[in-house]
Amino acid sequence: MRVRHGEVLLATGFLGIMTTLFLALKWAPSVSIDAFASPAAQRIFYWHVPSAWAAFIAFSVLFVGSALWVFKRSPTGWRLHVAGSEASLACGLMAVWSGCVWGAAEWGTPWDWSDVRLNTFGLLTLLALFLVLGRQSQPDGIESRDTFSTFGLYGFVLVPITYIATRIWQIRHPGPVIGGGEDSSLSSDMGLVLLLGAISFTILIAGHMVMSARITEYEQRLERLQNKVDGRI
Amino acid sequence: MADTLLELDGVSIRRGIDIVLSDFSLSLVEGQCIILHGENGLGKSTVIEAAARLLPMEKGEVRHHKSMVHDSEGRRKSPKFPFGLTLQSNGLVPSQTIQQHLETVCAISQMECDLTPILESYGLAHRRHDKIAHLSGGQQRKVSVISGLIPGMLSKKPRLILLDEPDSGLDDASIEILKTHLNQLRSAGHGILIATHNERLFDCATSLHDLNEESKREPESCEPWEKIGKKAESSFLSTKMGWKYNASTLISIQRNWLASLLVVGTLLALVEPLSISDQEVLIMGFVLAPAFTMGLVGDSVTSMLQEQRAIDWWRAQVQSIPNSNIESFLSGCILTTFSIQVFLQTFDWRIVLIGGLVGFATTFCLRFLQLSTLRLARTNAVFIRLLTPILILPWAMVVEFCITL
Repeated sequence: MRVRHGEVLLATGFLGIMTTLFLALKWAPSVSIDAFASPAAQRIFYWHVPSAWAAFIAFSVLFVGSALWVFKRSPTGWRLHVAGSEASLACGLMAVWSGCVWGAAEWGTPWDWSDVRLNTFGLLTLLALFLVLGRQSQPDGIESRDTFSTFGLYGFVLVPITYIATRIWQIRHPGPVIGGGEDSSLSSDMGLVLLLGAISFTILIAGHMVMSARITEYEQRLERLQNKVDGRI
Repeated sequence: MADTLLELDGVSIRRGIDIVLSDFSLSLVEGQCIILHGENGLGKSTVIEAAARLLPMEKGEVRHHKSMVHDSEGRRKSPKFPFGLTLQSNGLVPSQTIQQHLETVCAISQMECDLTPILESYGLAHRRHDKIAHLSGGQQRKVSVISGLIPGMLSKKPRLILLDEPDSGLDDASIEILKTHLNQLRSAGHGILIATHNERLFDCATSLHDLNEESKREPESCEPWEKIGKKAESSFLSTKMGWKYNASTLISIQRNWLASLLVVGTLLALVEPLSISDQEVLIMGFVLAPAFTMGLVGDSVTSMLQEQRAIDWWRAQVQSIPNSNIESFLSGCILTTFSIQVFLQTFDWRIVLIGGLVGFATTFCLRFLQLSTLRLARTNAVFIRLLTPILILPWAMVVEFCITL
C-alpha cells in the first residue's frame, strides 16, 4: 500500500495539538495572578504562540513559492504558493482568533488598531485570505499566477515588520516569550508545552502543505487533460 | 526607403495556461495593410493587443517607429507618435457622447478637426451629441472604428493603425465605407494591421497573414486620404479627462460622497457631538472619517473605465490613465469642512487640508490596488479590498496628529 505522507503528518500533528491542549489546560502551571488581569485566560497562549509560529513558517513557504514562480516560472513554486497561502490563512486565523479571545479577557478589548504587531499580523492573514479567495475567483492561468505571486512576494515584507514590532513599538501586544531577553523567561514546564505545541503545529501544516501540493498537481493534470479533450494542446 | 511603423520581434505570449504566440515576428512598413486571418483562438487579437502594449510578454520586444515601446522585461515607453486602436470590446466610455469621445481621440494626437464629414459617412452625424450608452451595438462599433482611424486621418505623416475585428457588427454600407477609408489611408502611407475573418476586407490588404505565413497581394488602388485637422496643444490630458468624466457623470458624488455622508449620518444617529466633546480622539476620528470613507470607496473614474475595456484603450495610448486625483483632494476638503462643522462647530483650515490629503492618499492607494489586478480575467471578483485595512493604522496616526494641532 502506498504511504501517503501528507495524511500521516496531518494525523501526527493533530494528535500533538490535542496533547498540547490537554497539557495546557490540565498540567501546565498557571501564571502569577499578579502579573495578569486574567491569569486563567493566559493558557490560551499555548495555542496562540504555536499557531503564530506555524503561520510564520507558512508565510515563508508562500514567499519562497511566489519567488520561484515569479523568477523561474516553476510549477513547483506555484504549488508551494497555493499550499503556503492556505496554511497561512488557517494558522493566521487561529492566531488572530485566539489573540482576540485573550485580548478581550486581558485588555477588555479584542483588537487595538493602534498596535503595530496586531495590525501587521492581521494584514498578513488578510493577505492570505485575499490570495485564497482571489485565486478561487479566477481561472487558472499565467495572469492570475503572476498577480497573486507578486502580492505574495511583496506581502512578505510584513513578516519582518511583524517580528520586530513588539521589540520596537510595544504598544499593547506583550513582548516576545522566546528570545526576548530576561523579561521573556518561561518556566521549564511552560516551555515544554509550548515546544510541543510549536512542533505539533509545524507537523500539521507540513502535512497540509504536502496534501495541498498534491491536490494542486492533480488539478493541473486534470486541466491538461481537459485541454487535450478540447483540442487546445 | 519606407519607414517601419511596427515591429514585433520574437514575441512569445501566454494567455491562461496556453502559449498563444511563440517567437512571433512581424514588421509593418508605411503604406502597408496586413490582415491577420484564421480560425478562433489562433492569436489574432493577441497580436493586436501586444502591438498596443497591452499584454505582458514572455519573450521579445515591440517597437513603434523603430523605438522600443514594450519588452519582455516589463518596460513600457510612450510611443513617439500617436496610433489608432480599435479593440474587440470597443474601449469606449459609455457616459461620454460621440463628439466628446472623438475629440478626446483627437486631443491624444494633439490635433483638432471638424468631425462632421466622418460622422456623416458612417451615418452618425445626427447622433453626435448622444451618449455612447444610448447607441445600438452597431453604432457603438462604428464609433470605436472611427476612433481607430482618426490618428491616421489627422496626420500627413505615416501613422500606425491597429484594428481588431473592425467589421463585426457593421452593416454592409458601413463595411464599404470602412474599406474605402482603409484603402485611402493605406495609399496616404499609413500602416494598418487588422485582425478579421471578413474576406471582404481582404481587398484592402497588401499582405494576408495567418500567423504562420505571410502572402503578398495587390490591393485595390485609390486616391490617398487628404489629411484633415489642425494642431491643438493639449497638456495634462489624463487629469483633464478624469475631471471631465467626473463632471459629466457626477460619479464621485454618486459613489464616494454618498458613502461618506451615510457615515456622518450613522455617527450622528449614535452619538450627540456635544456629549463627547471632551473625548478628543473620538471626535477627531469622527471629523476625518468622511474623507477616509470617501477614499475607501476607491477611484470612481478607474471603476468607470473598466466598462467596455476603456481602461485598456487608455493604457495603450498614454502612460497615465485618467484619474480622480483632483476630485479626491477637493472632496476630502469639502467633506471635512462639513464634518468639522457637525462635530466641532468650528473651522480649522489645517484640519480641512489634512482631510483633503486623507481623501487623496486613500483614493490613490485604492487605485493602486485596483490597477494591480487589472491583468486578471475577473477583476471585480478578486477580493482586493480585503487589503484595505492596511490604511486604518496610518489614518489613526493622522487622527492623533490632528489633536496636537
